[in-house]
Amino acid sequence: MAFAQGDANAGKGVYERKCLLCHGEKGDGNGPGAEQLAPRPRDFTKGLYKVRATANKTPTDQDVFNVITHGMPGTSMPAWDVLPDRERWNLVAYLKTFAPEPFKEAPKKLELPKEVASSEASIKRGKEMFEAIECHKCHGTEGRADGPSRAELKDEWGHPIPPANLAKRWTFRGGASRTDIATRIANGVLGTPMPAFLDSVEKPEDVWHLTNYILSLGPERPAYATLITVASVTDAIPDDPGGELWKKIAPQYVPLMGQVIVDPRNFNPAVDMVAIRAAYNEREVAFHLTWDDPTESKGDGKQTFPDAISLQFPPQVTGGTERPYFLMGDANDAVYLLRWEQGKGVGEASANGPAKLVPLTGAEAAGKAVFSNGQYRLVMKRPLVATGEARPTFRPAVFTPVAFQAWDGGAGESGPKMSLTSWYYLRLEEPQSNRRFIIPPVVAILTLAAMILVVRTANRAR
Amino acid sequence: MRRALTASAAIALITGVAMWFVTIAGAQGGGTIEADVKYNGAPQVEKLKVNKDTEKCGTEAVIEKVVVGSGKGLANAVVSVPGAKGASKAKAVIDQHGCKFTPHVVVMQPGEIEIKNSDDILHNIHTYSTANPSINKAQPKFKKTMTEKLDKPEFVKVTCDVHSWMLGWVAVVPGPAGVTDNNGVAKIENVPAGKQKIEVWHETLGKQEKDVEVKAGQVTKVSFEMKGK
Repeated sequence: MAFAQGDANAGKGVYERKCLLCHGEKGDGNGPGAEQLAPRPRDFTKGLYKVRATANKTPTDQDVFNVITHGMPGTSMPAWDVLPDRERWNLVAYLKTFAPEPFKEAPKKLELPKEVASSEASIKRGKEMFEAIECHKCHGTEGRADGPSRAELKDEWGHPIPPANLAKRWTFRGGASRTDIATRIANGVLGTPMPAFLDSVEKPEDVWHLTNYILSLGPERPAYATLITVASVTDAIPDDPGGELWKKIAPQYVPLMGQVIVDPRNFNPAVDMVAIRAAYNEREVAFHLTWDDPTESKGDGKQTFPDAISLQFPPQVTGGTERPYFLMGDANDAVYLLRWEQGKGVGEASANGPAKLVPLTGAEAAGKAVFSNGQYRLVMKRPLVATGEARPTFRPAVFTPVAFQAWDGGAGESGPKMSLTSWYYLRLEEPQSNRRFIIPPVVAILTLAAMILVVRTANRAR
Repeated sequence: MRRALTASAAIALITGVAMWFVTIAGAQGGGTIEADVKYNGAPQVEKLKVNKDTEKCGTEAVIEKVVVGSGKGLANAVVSVPGAKGASKAKAVIDQHGCKFTPHVVVMQPGEIEIKNSDDILHNIHTYSTANPSINKAQPKFKKTMTEKLDKPEFVKVTCDVHSWMLGWVAVVPGPAGVTDNNGVAKIENVPAGKQKIEVWHETLGKQEKDVEVKAGQVTKVSFEMKGK
């Protein structure tokens, strides 16, 4: 707190260089870049701050300082820890000048109930409370932001605002520590529909049980894959995404970004991550994909479209470094797509760019999708060996380029408006043959036999 | 038997005396205002299909932005005498019932309001107040009542984010006040005699003011014609 009393005049200069483009000259959240952002940049003129650790509406200087320092995960607000401390404190002082009135009231410290450590019993109680206070109305039954009130939610400024996906706590705006989460539950989030629950749980410590339950819904953060491994199996591969085999294979997480190269661009992609499990046997290769989508959309063709996902491969896998253009190919080089679309199922296509898809005939692909509680699980499979020029053949131990594309049709994504990845590699594990179990014992037996033979021959010669 | 007779006679006597006092006080202290609020435009009612809690909320939600009754009477308008004293001291109550705020408009003196949840499902009280601190508190099914403070005069919009169609208003007014019924009529009693400023406020149609001369013990009629915005 060395510089807790920042200098607002000095902060103005920093603000104009670093913050103005989004937050606007007047601090009203209407900077030139604001239109492209969702959620929109904060309007400081109301003095409403989402993240605060106080019992009243006024955040402490430290609260504002922390947001500047750490940014807001899941939004366009970056962490400004590159700025010296003093400049950040000066910014705090300057931001307060946009709404001096709310800051006249001194911040009152929020007293959280006594902390309860996580345990099986606490998580169970948290789940009970989650259901009793109906968190699912917005956040969904399993916390994936798919509750029935989702589409109706608006912020203080009348802009649509989605509920937090509680299974992805690395995107929590106000941080993902135990205290951060308990504070948001107790206090609500100002300017949003999230209400304060401190006086609205059965017992005060329920705030901590809820926190422990929310922490149990997902990992701290995903460990993103760099190389995708396709497991070699000998059994039949189930079409059903809930099949036993899929439970034995560990998920590999791949982050997706908005497509911002060609129009229409997607600055606020809905699908930010796909979990992939993959397996092959002597006949076929199969991909099991899991991703969150709050709405199962078949599309009305005007504002909403069918949800879809695709895996992209070069039509021929050479093992070399030459690959088609990652954005669904170009006029010269096509890509092969193994794709699924709501209402159509699994299919194959050849593409020469995001707007030029040609379905491949002679159905070789099959699969099944299941949607439940804001999450798709999908299996797509096809023969290992392909027919024709347009489809790749998958070979063990060959580095095979792969890319991902996803569309949340319910959020208005279709065509080039998608989220995607650049090229990744996947590799089919070399088959683990039975020979390793047979050859060593055979060698041992033969060696033993030879030794006995040598000993006998020697004895006889004597 | 005799005792019962005596008791009832005593009660009758006390009631009679009390009524006499009240009448005197009324006659001396002030008169009654009967406001007649009219609107020449069409009602504004939005309908919405309900996608959750239908067993409590029904299948269709109605958002009543302008309710016009018989004879063009405008309902849900607040008629108040902001400069006068003598307002009712009764505690204001707003209920959430059938996923509606009832009544749609509550009038209260600066102070406390009791917020009820009769629905047995989650609601959240979200006020859009500026003079008073805004409130956004969850009211789960087991929390049947909450008390909140609204200390400053203001027309406070109240919403519920869980059920976005829910809309109510709390009129925090310092003087005597009333809300018009479906005929557009509001009666305000105990208004001090003399020249008074009468104010009408409607959530969609805005405000109007008129000066009237209130005579003690008499009913003063005043009419307003609201204009579309």
